[in-house]
Amino acid sequence: MARIMVVDDALFMRQMLANILKAEGHEICAEASTAKEAVEKYKQFKPDLVTMDIVMPMIEEMDGIGAVEEIMKFDPNAKILIISVMAQHALVLKAMQAGAKDFVVKPFKPSRLIAAINHILSSGEKQK
Amino acid sequence: MQDSYREIFITESIEYLKNINKCLVRIEKTPSDLDSLNEIFRCVHTLKGMSATMGFDKLTQLSHQMEDLLDELRNQKKRVTSEIIDILFVSTDLLEKLVEEIRLNQPSTLDISEVISSLKETLDKKEEEKKEEKEVIPEPELKDIEFTEEELKVIRNAKAEGFLLFRLKVFLSSECAMKGTRAYLVIINLEKLAKIIKSIPKLEDLEEGKFNLSFILIGLTKHNLEFLRKELMNMVEVEEVIIEEMALTQPSLSSSFQVSPSYIKKIETVRIPVERLDKIMNLMGELIIAKIRLMQLIQYYKIEALEEVAFTLDRLSSSLQDEIMQTRLIPIAYILDTFPRVVRDLAKNKNKEIDLEVIGSGIELDRVILNEIGDPLIHLVRNAVDHGIESPEERKKIGKPPKGKLIIKVLREKGQIFIEVSDDGRGVDFEAVRKVAVEKGLVSKEEADKLDNKSILDLICLPGFSTTKKITDISGRGVGLDVVKSKIDSLGGRLDFESQPNKGTKFILALPLTLAIIKAMLVKVRDEIFAIPLMNIRETIKLDREQIKFLQNFEVIRVRDEIIPLIRLDKEFGLLSHEEEFTKSTNGKISVVIVEYGQKSLGLTVNQILGEQDIVVKPLTSFIKKTKGIAGATVLGDGKVALILDIMSLR
Repeated sequence: MARIMVVDDALFMRQMLANILKAEGHEICAEASTAKEAVEKYKQFKPDLVTMDIVMPMIEEMDGIGAVEEIMKFDPNAKILIISVMAQHALVLKAMQAGAKDFVVKPFKPSRLIAAINHILSSGEKQK
Repeated sequence: MQDSYREIFITESIEYLKNINKCLVRIEKTPSDLDSLNEIFRCVHTLKGMSATMGFDKLTQLSHQMEDLLDELRNQKKRVTSEIIDILFVSTDLLEKLVEEIRLNQPSTLDISEVISSLKETLDKKEEEKKEEKEVIPEPELKDIEFTEEELKVIRNAKAEGFLLFRLKVFLSSECAMKGTRAYLVIINLEKLAKIIKSIPKLEDLEEGKFNLSFILIGLTKHNLEFLRKELMNMVEVEEVIIEEMALTQPSLSSSFQVSPSYIKKIETVRIPVERLDKIMNLMGELIIAKIRLMQLIQYYKIEALEEVAFTLDRLSSSLQDEIMQTRLIPIAYILDTFPRVVRDLAKNKNKEIDLEVIGSGIELDRVILNEIGDPLIHLVRNAVDHGIESPEERKKIGKPPKGKLIIKVLREKGQIFIEVSDDGRGVDFEAVRKVAVEKGLVSKEEADKLDNKSILDLICLPGFSTTKKITDISGRGVGLDVVKSKIDSLGGRLDFESQPNKGTKFILALPLTLAIIKAMLVKVRDEIFAIPLMNIRETIKLDREQIKFLQNFEVIRVRDEIIPLIRLDKEFGLLSHEEEFTKSTNGKISVVIVEYGQKSLGLTVNQILGEQDIVVKPLTSFIKKTKGIAGATVLGDGKVALILDIMSLR
């Protein structure tokens, strides 16, 4: 049971993610459709976990990577799960280097997403 | 026009062909060796370009066809098979023959069509093969792991600190998307708990997903291995992890190309053209001049508010100068590395056994100086091997170990570099030198008996001194020594020498770190300012007029029992004054700067000593270059030009 923020520029994706996560008993505390918004809302809501679409249009000079960087700067313990389409290897690598914890490739099975989220949440607990 | 390039073309082509052959052998052994594939591709590609430029059609065609095939291989559209290796070898042989034809300037008779068509055939086979052979990257085996020396060192050290060496094999789920990134994540997670030393395939390949479903990691950890396994198993898309402790086996020598010490490569060196460095140095010089000027103005007008800023500027520019100087420095290993080979060849030639020891080859020198001292050093080494060190039989007879020892030692002290070349041979026969000197009429018999080390060195450094056939013991000792000495002198350095009969000889070269900015003493002669390199200055003294004596019409002074010739700089440079005037202006006392060149000393009369300063040496243009006594010029803080004295040519 965690408070999760969903970041994706497509409403459809946000809804789908939200449905999967809610079904698992998680709370969607915020949604964001741009990188900039994601950073602002992170600061506002301090979610336990963020799912972040890495391929987002560059708005106000920030894309998904930029958002990861900003959030990590704000909260070095932030838990970010990258959601990416196939073959964005370089981008995902960059996000990982910036501090994202794991990634899931679109299209994904709900179980795959849940497994990744549980893994991130559980490894965080141990560190605490 | 073409002919002038032909030579270069041929040498380079042969170089490339050598490389291609080398890489082919490697790929035959390890078909997955991507580095070698890329290297071959690069070589063939360059060769193609070169041949096309030169208009060698056959070479161009053949290399073009090879390039196509290699491109497929390196992009992994096609797998390396023994068949492909064979055809590549055949093509390379043909390339070699074509280059040979060009070298001999023969009209080309070779037929390349057959090889070209088989290259084409191989290339076209691609489609069917691709389907069959997809995913045939061999699974790595836990057994075939080899370490390099360096890795072994790391492992041994870590083991001593209580780390455990382990290897683990990770199997990813077959559904895993973007396995390269997943592998990267496994590595990141593992690195939180362990130090990864090695991976199979290498980290770059892993990241790019160039593996099947499993890969091997080797690392060091202090954690429980089962704990590591569980941590990794916890990750999504990780299907299975096998982990086991590893024992160190003996290193095998053949395992160097799977090494990758770090998986994020950093750019650590940058290439800069030497010209640019020279420009930077020049600008630095101008900056220093401006700085000095500023400092002088501040002092003159006593502007307190600026003093602190000026002090900081002074400090910063000195550090900057040091750093820039560093960029011009190259380790002396650059030339010393060739010496083992030189000594080996020389020794073999002379049937001698010699051990060469090089100490301090990491010490760095200005590249201008480095360029100049290679030959002098070779001279010294050759002398030592040729004449210093005895033959093994001779050495045994006098109770020395049969193997001679030659040591090149480099030291850095007080802004100077010292290079010592010493051998444990028979040493210079002083008696013989004296005898020859007397015979040649260079010194009288009485003088000869009093000759010290310095004078002996001067004697054997005289051009042609040693060519005397009568005294075989020292014959050759002087060959090239005059050249060595004048070279070192011209660099503003010093040559010293120590020798003991039957114990050996040691030559010591003292060199400045750089030639571009030097420390100098500024002196005033009449109204002119001169700069005397501090390196050359032994001391400064004040004398009474009466202390100047005459010896055979030359003015000399006596300093602590040493007779030193005196040069009046004002007379020397035509700034003539009357004797009376001169003494008047110095209140009866005369300032003398005593300088050394080689082993000799010289007194220079000056009107006033102004002080020490860093000066930037500006070479003189050609038409005044050969002015006696002047080495160059520098610009002082107030914009005035001061000439730099060349002590060597003053005498």
